[in-house]
Amino acid sequence: MEPEKRKFAIYGFCLIVFFGFVVRLAYLQLFSIEELTKESNKNSIKTITITPPRGLMYDRNGNILVDNKPSYTVTITPSQFDKNNLKEVSSMLDIEPEILMENIKSIKGTNKFNPAKIKRDVDFKVVSYIAENKERLSGVDYQIEAIRYYPNNFRAAHAFGYASEISPKQLEKQIGDYYKQGDVVGSSGLELNYENYLKGVKGYKFITVDVKGREIGGLNEGMSDIPPVNGSDLILSMDKDLQEYAEKLMKDKRGAIIAVDPRNGEILCFVSKPDFDISLFAGKLDPKVYTALVNDPEKPLFNRVTQTKYPPGSTWKMMMSLSAMAADIITPVSTIACGGSFTYGNRTFEDHGAYGNINVTRAIEVSANVFYYKLGLQLGIDNYNKYGKMFGFGAKTGIDIPNETPGLLPSREYLDKRYGENKWSQGLMVSLGIGQGELGVSPVQMVAYTASIAMNGLYCQPHFVSKIRNSANNTEESVKFEQRRIDMPQKYYDAVKKGMYLVVNGTGTAKAIKNSDFVLSGKTGTAQNSSGKNHSWFVGFAPFDDPKIAICVLGENAGWGATFAAPIAAALMVRYLGGSGYEVNGDLKTVSDVPD
Amino acid sequence: MKKNFFEGIDLVLLLFTLAILTAGLLAIFSATYTSGTDYFSKQITFALFGILIMLVVSYIPPRIIARSSYYFYILALILLVLVLFFGKKISGSKSWFSLGGFGIQPSEFAKIATILALSNFLSGTDDGFRNVNKPVEFIKACAIVLLPVILIMRQPDMGTSLVFLSMILPVLFWVGLSPYVIFVIISPALVAFGAFLGMNYFMAALAIVALILLLFKRNIFLTAGILVMNFIIGFSVDTLYTKLQPYQQNRIKAVFDPATDPLGSGYNVIQSKVAIGSGGFTGKGFLQGTQTQLKFIPEQWTDFIYCMIGEEFGFIGSVVILILYMTIIFQLVNNSYLSKNRFLSVACIGFSSIIFFHLVINVGMTIGLMPVIGIPLPLMSYGISSLLSFMVMIGIGMSAYRYRNQY
Repeated sequence: MEPEKRKFAIYGFCLIVFFGFVVRLAYLQLFSIEELTKESNKNSIKTITITPPRGLMYDRNGNILVDNKPSYTVTITPSQFDKNNLKEVSSMLDIEPEILMENIKSIKGTNKFNPAKIKRDVDFKVVSYIAENKERLSGVDYQIEAIRYYPNNFRAAHAFGYASEISPKQLEKQIGDYYKQGDVVGSSGLELNYENYLKGVKGYKFITVDVKGREIGGLNEGMSDIPPVNGSDLILSMDKDLQEYAEKLMKDKRGAIIAVDPRNGEILCFVSKPDFDISLFAGKLDPKVYTALVNDPEKPLFNRVTQTKYPPGSTWKMMMSLSAMAADIITPVSTIACGGSFTYGNRTFEDHGAYGNINVTRAIEVSANVFYYKLGLQLGIDNYNKYGKMFGFGAKTGIDIPNETPGLLPSREYLDKRYGENKWSQGLMVSLGIGQGELGVSPVQMVAYTASIAMNGLYCQPHFVSKIRNSANNTEESVKFEQRRIDMPQKYYDAVKKGMYLVVNGTGTAKAIKNSDFVLSGKTGTAQNSSGKNHSWFVGFAPFDDPKIAICVLGENAGWGATFAAPIAAALMVRYLGGSGYEVNGDLKTVSDVPD
Repeated sequence: MKKNFFEGIDLVLLLFTLAILTAGLLAIFSATYTSGTDYFSKQITFALFGILIMLVVSYIPPRIIARSSYYFYILALILLVLVLFFGKKISGSKSWFSLGGFGIQPSEFAKIATILALSNFLSGTDDGFRNVNKPVEFIKACAIVLLPVILIMRQPDMGTSLVFLSMILPVLFWVGLSPYVIFVIISPALVAFGAFLGMNYFMAALAIVALILLLFKRNIFLTAGILVMNFIIGFSVDTLYTKLQPYQQNRIKAVFDPATDPLGSGYNVIQSKVAIGSGGFTGKGFLQGTQTQLKFIPEQWTDFIYCMIGEEFGFIGSVVILILYMTIIFQLVNNSYLSKNRFLSVACIGFSSIIFFHLVINVGMTIGLMPVIGIPLPLMSYGISSLLSFMVMIGIGMSAYRYRNQY
């Protein structure tokens, strides 16, 4: 082929394409002009995102715990927003003009014709102002959205958690692009753990708008709209009345309460005090309020049920008893001599009484320290760790809210690392024997352990949610939680439980809470605290023969277990079982100091 | 050899380039009228800078460019590797180096470097072009282009990869590749496209391919073999397609038919068709386009700049712009034809085919004739790397005119 021919071949090819394009342009611009002009005047499709209301939370009896209420959210459509109105809009919304402009600019997602949420939970005054000046304030609009509403007069802040406006960081970190600026996302507690169920699925409404941004009507008469799917509701095992009573008993105190049904691990009440008002997080959270909460020395955001790591004190004695029996160090009937103190090496460990030769049941009843000093030494670190693990210590219980601590259950490796290999004294085991020293447990671990003793070894993962109800298709989904059996001879459990029975119903440390209607049982504990007053523990269950509730109460710096924790636990157990409780003039019966 | 300083300047390329630049600046001004003047002032600064560079490049003797072409090519490959590690990720692909507030796209530089290396390779013998009808030479030429394409696909940037591929056939055709071979290469694409549209189209495409193959009057067995290959390819497209997940099928469908995805990639095409169509014969007037001014098309100062021309300057404006581009392309082809320097002759064909491909894909996309592939409109779309790279190409095109009589 000649070069000239090649040149003309290229020219020819180009011209064919060129004429094709001209014909297409003529078709669009000359022959479909009427139709397309009409289309252009109608302008475009605006997509309105419809965020479904979050799922609700109910208690075990169908009472509503976490509800929604309507609120107004101001939106701005960036492409239609007139910068001349910036000052007016910023003063209306009480946002600095620069920050408002930044917000508008930073809206994620490519579509600039879709309204983006700028401020949530605004006053009705703002909404009516926008409605009155709609023509002038182009691009500014509002949506009605559901925000969280808590109808009861208790908080359960750490259990429910809060659902708040998504932060720039959360937006950045999300997988996928479901969340947009201004969306609400579960950020702690159950709201976070069950976010995927609670949030539902967003819907979209397509609206045609004209040149001035006025809505003309739906696209395809609404046929193309994608309806939202409401969030699923959570049915919790919480008992509303018990929760309310528990929070009342802990008013102005510091500590934690958790009660479960020992037969299945369902959480009946869950209190961590001091706490905070979660409804503050429902609308637009004032950063000052949040900073104040974070910096509060009382640490109200800290979940004392799942995140504390305190030594359990004497509430650990059931653990020691079961471990020693399982390791064949003692039998349910063998005795150990308990003088008033115990000397190991050059150190003397004190006790609050001398009990003579006693068996394990009696040792629990009177909380004999010497008994457990000796058991600690004989058990050794490896068995200590092995049996501790069996009862869930040193590991997360798997409670269905996030950020649980595994606590601290010492092991040989841990002590070797901490003190150097073989450089630690067996004397550590003496303190560990009575639940002091380098041992950290959380109330949720303690209640699961107590419940498993009550149930003769049935260990249930503590949990809040019993069912998830989907309102869209009216189905209920049960949530499965783990249960396992801790295999030990029944007589071991019997010996320990008998001791717990006598703590309350015999001559034990909590005999003051003995109840005439229900047979309570339990164990007091006091965790030594080098930096302040001791922490008060009580774990227990009731009724003794057919356990329906297991409980753990912790009072921070509240002194003896019998003084603070035991009466609160007893009042709650009795209230749950249908009794009248221990109230005298709206306050708990005072109990004299009983050391454990 | 005392010549007038301006003698030897390719006035057609210079003036038409200036005309397109002006139109582009007007369009960017209008498209960004309500979103601030940053884009406009940045683009005009670099357009002026680009004109200077274009003129300087047009004076560089071809020998110097040819000699350095392999070095440029190696440098371009190194940059393409580096950008995979140190590039900035923008909307899913690592194509940019971020340098003091400016984004620099090594693939733009690689475009020029690859064409120059390919030109140097093809013009590399003393008695005419390399014979690309020899398989070895053909494969070597293709390899020069495919090496950067592999790297660019890793970014991943499909649009730019296609731009690179688009220049292979025109360039090889120019240096003498037989039309028969070109047709054999193109035919499977035709058949595959037909197969994608449906059984009848598949059969029709196959029949047309068969007819044309017969018209070449080559060995009947060879022709039959090629036809069978086409049949297998078309058939496997169909089987592969049905094996895809529905959402994958939809994604492919949306490329060809935007209406199936009105909220995603189809959105821009629908909006841009409305914008162009509503312009009518004379347009709505500068700064008067409602679609443009209301920003119904996101970032239309980049890939969708042509629809602003269509809306505000109507059919007349749209066709004038096309004529400006066609003139530049024709002039480049003509320079290539006139040039006695084989290196510049091939380079000009490479540049014109790249400009042509950009034009067809970009304008075709805005008027709904081509799939949505995000590549800029040469010299008009906002974007510094692309602007400067096209101006260097035209500068070299101008040098082909200046040195047309030098071997």
